[in-house]
Amino acid sequence: MAYVQLQGVSKAFDDVTVIPALDLEIADTEFVVLVGPSGCGKTTTLRMIAGLEAASGGVIKIGERAVTDLRPGLRNCAMVFQNYALYPHMTVADNIGYGMKVRRMPKEEIAGRIAEAARILGLEPYLDRRPKQLSGGQRQRVAIGRAIVRQPDVFLFDEPLSNLDAKLRIEMRTEIKNLHRRLNSTMVYVTHDQVEAMTMADRVVVMNEGRIEQAADPITLYERPANTFVAAFIGAPSMNFVPATVIAKGEGLALRLDDGSELGIPRERWDRYGAHKDRPVTFGLRPEHNAGGAEGEAVITMTARAIEPLGPHTLLIGEAAGRGYTAQVDSHFPAAPDQQVPISLDMTKMHVFDPENGRAL
Amino acid sequence: MMKRPLVFGLCLFWALVTLFPLYWTFVTSLKPPTAVNGGPTYIPYVDFMPTLQAYIDAFSGIRGDFINPFINSALIAVSATALSVTFGTMAAYALVRFEFRIRLGSGLIFAAVAIGGFLLFNETFGFSRAQAMGLAFLAALPACLIANRLPLPGPVLGNKDVLFWFVSQRMFPPIVTAFALFLLYSEIGKEGFKLLDSYLGMVLCYTAFSIPIVVWLMRDFLATLPVEIEEAALVDDVPRMRIFFEIVVPMARPGLIATSLITLAFIWNEFLFSLLLTTSNWQTLPILLAGQNSYRGDEWWAISVAAMFGIAPMIVVAMLLAKLMRSGLTLGGIR
Ligand SMILES: Nc1ncnc2c1ncn2[C@@H]1O[C@H](COP(=O)(O)OP(=O)(O)OP(=O)(O)O)[C@@H](O)[C@H]1O
Ligand SMILES: [Mg+2]
Repeated sequence: MAYVQLQGVSKAFDDVTVIPALDLEIADTEFVVLVGPSGCGKTTTLRMIAGLEAASGGVIKIGERAVTDLRPGLRNCAMVFQNYALYPHMTVADNIGYGMKVRRMPKEEIAGRIAEAARILGLEPYLDRRPKQLSGGQRQRVAIGRAIVRQPDVFLFDEPLSNLDAKLRIEMRTEIKNLHRRLNSTMVYVTHDQVEAMTMADRVVVMNEGRIEQAADPITLYERPANTFVAAFIGAPSMNFVPATVIAKGEGLALRLDDGSELGIPRERWDRYGAHKDRPVTFGLRPEHNAGGAEGEAVITMTARAIEPLGPHTLLIGEAAGRGYTAQVDSHFPAAPDQQVPISLDMTKMHVFDPENGRAL
Repeated sequence: MMKRPLVFGLCLFWALVTLFPLYWTFVTSLKPPTAVNGGPTYIPYVDFMPTLQAYIDAFSGIRGDFINPFINSALIAVSATALSVTFGTMAAYALVRFEFRIRLGSGLIFAAVAIGGFLLFNETFGFSRAQAMGLAFLAALPACLIANRLPLPGPVLGNKDVLFWFVSQRMFPPIVTAFALFLLYSEIGKEGFKLLDSYLGMVLCYTAFSIPIVVWLMRDFLATLPVEIEEAALVDDVPRMRIFFEIVVPMARPGLIATSLITLAFIWNEFLFSLLLTTSNWQTLPILLAGQNSYRGDEWWAISVAAMFGIAPMIVVAMLLAKLMRSGLTLGGIR
């Protein structure tokens, strides 16, 4: 069992607290992705698990073992760095085998593990090369190979793909996922790319300013974001936020926007939002839950400023109800810049947030 | 487009300026006495007939023993360079990778215990000076280490201050320490442990005086190495010492070679310490060269031969190391 547990773990550099007490449990064999904007403390959290950074407070456990004060080498983690961090003066084979050599494993076993890792990662033709003579993707594979042969309890990845070009990144994404399935071990993966987070993770941990905003599987994160931060961070283009007031309409409820338009709230949500009647809220709707035209039940008028055809669909970027608004419409929807167009909203996909603290209601 | 010939011309001019003394020494070493005494001559076979007579004289020992000082210089310079580069690089690595916090108070306690202890052991208990010095040092070292753990008042010094302390060792004129070192060595010598005019004494002295330069040069160099490579090894449970010798040292090869070269040249050319601390057995080449003039008068051809003995090895070493360095520069971190 190699679960990872952070209990009230905090980190301060001198007087600056970058991570206030943080609780996180990562189950055995789980693939967890830490995601968040730059500087939110993802790397710091990962380095505290690895032991490269001492926690200022709290307890870190890896598989029943409290490792908080253990040096990195004794934690049985393997880490893959953004810059690959290969030993420049060693060949690929030596890079992969160095740790085992230091641990005085039998020569045949070292050779066997190197061969196995090289086979899994397709590195066989390059075993005698130096890191300098490899492409970025090959280097990253060597770094991953070095991690595999360790047979660690936990794999730690710190933005391993961010130095690669877009195409290679997508390939390596799949490779790492396959690797996870094959090795069936616990992995913690840091990225600031939300697509990477969504596509790879069993569970995504969204961080902001050292705090965990929400930790959930990708679909939950997308469908039921806990607050405006997560709602805005997950999904591209980002969710639209419009100030509104919950009002009574007929026997049910509706939202009134600043421009006076009223949007009916679906019946199944009436109970949930009833308590907020006549209160200001933040209404949120993802661009993909809009459609061009006035055919729907909830319609607003949007002023398109920019029109971005993407092929399968087109993005209208502009304003609605006095706020910035993005709508995803059919590629053939007729719209021209600075033109007012009707947009139908799919209110079954609506989100409502508390305007004070951003929490989902 | 006009710039290139100008720059080239200036470089050529400067190359001639720096190379001329070398040429002059070399040519003079081949001259017969008549070609020197009768006014300047410049080009062999044109101005004069070159002769190897001065070299033959030198090897036959007519002008004093060249071979021994040469071997002395080589042994001392190579040993002291190896030691100072090894320990200086370790110190520089520690200054780059670890954070030191040293209380000024504990430094003062070291000074107080060392000086007070010396006086106490020497004057009150009647130990000899060298013994009192050793005992006082043995008392002062643990005292300041313990004191550093106590919450003493006063400023706390960091890595920058330690580095400055290292470099400051080279700021005052060497003559200041040279006399102190002479006294220290002669006191220790009275205990029967010979340091004056000995291999060990010279190597220790040059090691101590080269370490500040090595620390200073290597600290800047090591600071440019990417820390992730070492962190990857740390996570892999590689002991610090192996990280240093098997990962850091190979990556730092160009810097190590350049630093060794600078240190070697410094020790090879050093004059003052050798003058004070050696007499006959371990005299080095610079002392011998300086003595040439008064030995038998202005026999420039012979003096030039002696100078060639001093210059040639450094040129060979510089060329070898420069080649090594160029091949080493292609390594370095992988981004
Ligand atoms: N050694 C350090 N000393 C002081 N502050 C630090 C140190 N390392 C990180 N920080 C600060 O801690 C915060 C979190 O940094 P961290 O590297 O964990 O961010 P990150 O989420 O990994 O960001 P990125 O996506 O840019 O890599 C940042 O504000 C950073 O300035
Ligand atoms: Mg980071």
